[in-house]
Amino acid sequence: MPSGAKEYHELVGIARKSGDFSGGFEEEQGAYVVLHANAVLASHTIPGIEITSSETAEGLDATITVLENCHLEKPVRLCFGHLGTEGVQRINSTIHIEKGARATFLSYCIFPNAVEFLHAMEGNITVEEGGEFTYNEIHVHGQEGRIDVRPKTKVLLKDRALYRGDFTLVEGRVGNLDIHMEVVAQGEKSRVELTSKVYGKYNDSCKVRDIILLSGKDSSALIKARVVLKDQSSGSFVGLIDGAAPGARGHVDCAEVVQGEARAEASPVVRASHPEAEVTHEAAIGRIANDKIEGLMAKGLDEDEAVDIIVSGLLR
Amino acid sequence: MKESTLFVDDISVVKEGVPILQEVTIKVAPGEIAGVLGRNGAGKSSLAYALMGVERYAPLQGRIWMRGEDITDLSITERAQRGLTLAWQHPARYEGISIRDYLRISSKSVTEASMEDALGRVQLEPRYLERMLDKNLSGGERKRIELASIFLMQPRLAILDEPDSGVDLIALVEIMNLFRDLAENGNSVLIITHREDVAAACDRSYLMCGGRVVLEGSAEAVKRYFMSQCSPCMDIDLENSQAEVR
Repeated sequence: MPSGAKEYHELVGIARKSGDFSGGFEEEQGAYVVLHANAVLASHTIPGIEITSSETAEGLDATITVLENCHLEKPVRLCFGHLGTEGVQRINSTIHIEKGARATFLSYCIFPNAVEFLHAMEGNITVEEGGEFTYNEIHVHGQEGRIDVRPKTKVLLKDRALYRGDFTLVEGRVGNLDIHMEVVAQGEKSRVELTSKVYGKYNDSCKVRDIILLSGKDSSALIKARVVLKDQSSGSFVGLIDGAAPGARGHVDCAEVVQGEARAEASPVVRASHPEAEVTHEAAIGRIANDKIEGLMAKGLDEDEAVDIIVSGLLR
Repeated sequence: MKESTLFVDDISVVKEGVPILQEVTIKVAPGEIAGVLGRNGAGKSSLAYALMGVERYAPLQGRIWMRGEDITDLSITERAQRGLTLAWQHPARYEGISIRDYLRISSKSVTEASMEDALGRVQLEPRYLERMLDKNLSGGERKRIELASIFLMQPRLAILDEPDSGVDLIALVEIMNLFRDLAENGNSVLIITHREDVAAACDRSYLMCGGRVVLEGSAEAVKRYFMSQCSPCMDIDLENSQAEVR
């Protein structure tokens, strides 16, 4: 068995539970990188995408470019994981979506056994004119222990560029989560959509900060956060959209559900730095409405089953 | 009592210090479609919540019996597991749940074919199974989905709170056909309504006013009384009525 084969199969096996592929990465015929700790276990590129990477003492530095007008049909799969109980993994990435290119990246961050662990990601993403980029980050953590997760991403959008970012951490312990996302939509008619779905339990701490500057004429943004907190977990959400150009449109939509002794705060911040911009928001923090729970109980579910169904729908 | 599917024996409910149900007694027989008619604020929905076991509507006095069993102290879940269910007047909006998944909650034995059949009975096409409950459905469509869900459950007793509201496209006769289908095999239906034509299509009706049952009788007699005598509030005068005053 080649070095790292066991780790490769375990990480990809866990990633497979996300349900969007059934075999191994190699059978999907797309580009991929699998990293365990600071060791690249496998990687593959296809025409239209260039990946360069170098292992560092604690992780990986990577540069990925999707070439001009290249439309990648298959998602690019990135798997960053560690099967140990403690340690550090730092990922620094630079992603460049060239003019007219389109790509979807699925990033699986897998730490099933982490007890004391730091997973830090720092990303710089540029989407050139007419480019479209979707980045879905899916975390799988263990049921015990704590992990510090610190994704920090900066995104720059040129004319008519589109960025969709989706962060999901609903399986296992959240640990200490601190998402920091900054997007500058400087291009005309550029668009950004950020979605965060987090399920905090025990004494997890969940911080989400999404900050978008709409400096491009007719640029637009949507920030959507769905946070469910139970036990003694806590969460804070800051979603800021600054409409700083004529025709800029933005909306912040945050819903936090608290159960048990959990605590939550939400700060949707809407700012119109330009008189022709329009930014709106809606935010709600509360327990699951009685009528929703009772509606499912009237179909024979017990209260816990009803709550599970409601929460899983909210985080879907 | 034992022969009744439902026997509500003299229940009173107080909410935030205000009596909302007073000494209510009703019966629903096996295979029967019974109606509870009344104007807005009469206490009809409160009665439905109390029967379903919503804690905030727990009776201060009186008992509720279902098929000979005292269910007064049972939870909503326990009542539902015994075959009692409620189609709420305003079905809750569940985010991120498809209609297919929602209908699957109704019964462990549902199949794709049975879900399509249930949707067909409320005039919805099979393609609705793919749609999400919280996305672009009208109030009437939500109501129909709720009725389809109840139909799939095949409960011993279905309480339907204003089942016709917002369902403009389904003719009353079609709704009643669904209720008749529900009431097959000895199952029963209790329809809460403010529409006299819906109540008149039942086998028997009760008239509620001010949290009390003020009249009981044939559906037609209660309808006639309601139409001729019921202003927003009333003094009961049954001199010319064939119904029984309470």
